[in-house]
Amino acid sequence: MIYLDYAATAPMLPEVLEAMHEAEKKFFANASALHTPGHLALNEIEETRESLARLVGAEPSEILFTSGSSESNNTIVRTFEGHEIFTSPLEHHSIFEAAKQFSGKKLPRLYSFMLANNETGDILDVASVVREASQVPTPKESELFEAKDDFGRELVTERKGAYVHSDLTQALGKIPVDVHELGLDYATFSAHKIGGPVGVGALYVRKGVPFRPLIIGGNQEGKRRGGTYNTVGIIGFKAALKKIAEQKSWELYDTKVRELRDRLARRILEEIPGSSLNTDLTPGASLPNILNASFRAAEGESIQLYLDAEGVIVSTGSACAAGDTRPSHVLMAKTGDAEVAHSSIRFSFGLSSELSDVDGVMEVLPGIVSRLQKISTIEMEEK
Amino acid sequence: MNEGEDWVYSEIVKEHFLHPRNYLMGDEKKFDYDAVGTVGNPICGDQMRMYIKVHDGRIVDLRWKTYGCASAIASTSALSELAKGKTLDEAVEISAKDIDDYLGNLPKHKFHCSILGHDALRKAVENYRKGSPLE
Repeated sequence: MIYLDYAATAPMLPEVLEAMHEAEKKFFANASALHTPGHLALNEIEETRESLARLVGAEPSEILFTSGSSESNNTIVRTFEGHEIFTSPLEHHSIFEAAKQFSGKKLPRLYSFMLANNETGDILDVASVVREASQVPTPKESELFEAKDDFGRELVTERKGAYVHSDLTQALGKIPVDVHELGLDYATFSAHKIGGPVGVGALYVRKGVPFRPLIIGGNQEGKRRGGTYNTVGIIGFKAALKKIAEQKSWELYDTKVRELRDRLARRILEEIPGSSLNTDLTPGASLPNILNASFRAAEGESIQLYLDAEGVIVSTGSACAAGDTRPSHVLMAKTGDAEVAHSSIRFSFGLSSELSDVDGVMEVLPGIVSRLQKISTIEMEEK
Repeated sequence: MNEGEDWVYSEIVKEHFLHPRNYLMGDEKKFDYDAVGTVGNPICGDQMRMYIKVHDGRIVDLRWKTYGCASAIASTSALSELAKGKTLDEAVEISAKDIDDYLGNLPKHKFHCSILGHDALRKAVENYRKGSPLE
């Protein structure tokens, strides 16, 4: 099998599997309990918190664990429920749909823009968002500023007119990320995109900014996120973080993986008539591991499944489900062309990808596209 | 993840998707048809075109083309098998459920895709009867 769907989920690293397997036996106790096994489990969680904080330039106290990126994203949107929320259709649905439902007219405002796009890999200029946010005047009062701790001390010491959140799920490990350099107030992370387990995510909440828990009813995470700790999953996250920090994975992505991605892009353009790229390959313009391409007159889901039958695993923006034949909202927003969006395929590489994967794709992809183009109702323009 | 033998689709859907019957490869002039019907639109989703050859009120042969998903391809392939040799009246009576039964049930969220070929066939028959075989 040639797996090129790392942007959806990366396979768990061997180090992660081993760490989790051990943890199932050693750290099963409830990490909130006062007894020794509970305390040992909590130590593991705190070490993970420190690892992530160190990697992204945060303080450990600014990191809290969640069930994944969707929860992290929802938590921030719900913190600003009833407030102005500026975002974009290019965002993940857990931001965009939540913002549609919960935004209002109050200030302070929330800006939520992901650093790297899920489908095209395009990198956004977050600095310009931070600049725009800094121009918004601070309201005199807001219920968000009123939060106090158990001793009656004010929790919100950073009173501003607008706060900035960025979903860093796709970017973590692929390019260097530093929440301070980016100027963020909130950031979202996920374990399963870096070789950790599904079901573990994290949220960076800068000290002194507004926050409202999504899940209440427990003292975990300093009352910021209720629910028994997923110790084993968090230990898996730690193993994945350790691996990417040790190998400086972003350097490998910038060299080895970029080379593979760009080679596939070149060959697609050269060898497949009617192909075009939806990803800007210029270094710095996109994540080095994602390539989104469209194939004129060939429908994306069919391409995906013919590739699947040949053992090549990719994803498509041409989702067609539950009576909804609208193509990817991201590609529609980016290209404005339904056919380009419907004919798109995302190839996403990981650190285990090899040159033979690119060759393997190109052994079957030109034939699959050509056949679909020949039975298509859409005319192929002469080259 | 699908590894060939473990698809979300049934074996027969997979078979019709991987080896579709009666599709028209390339130039439509290759097939001597009496009427054609097109439904759908690439802007809002899939598009399907059905070409029929009619003799004595019976569909003696047919071909199709599509810009469509796997379910559209498989269900239209199945429909083309069901419709071949039928009278025009019988052909338009073939229902989406007949196609679904023939394919051993499409996933529920894909059922709407199976209607596409079916609508294109009805449109072709309608055009044939109207005497405007080229739409």
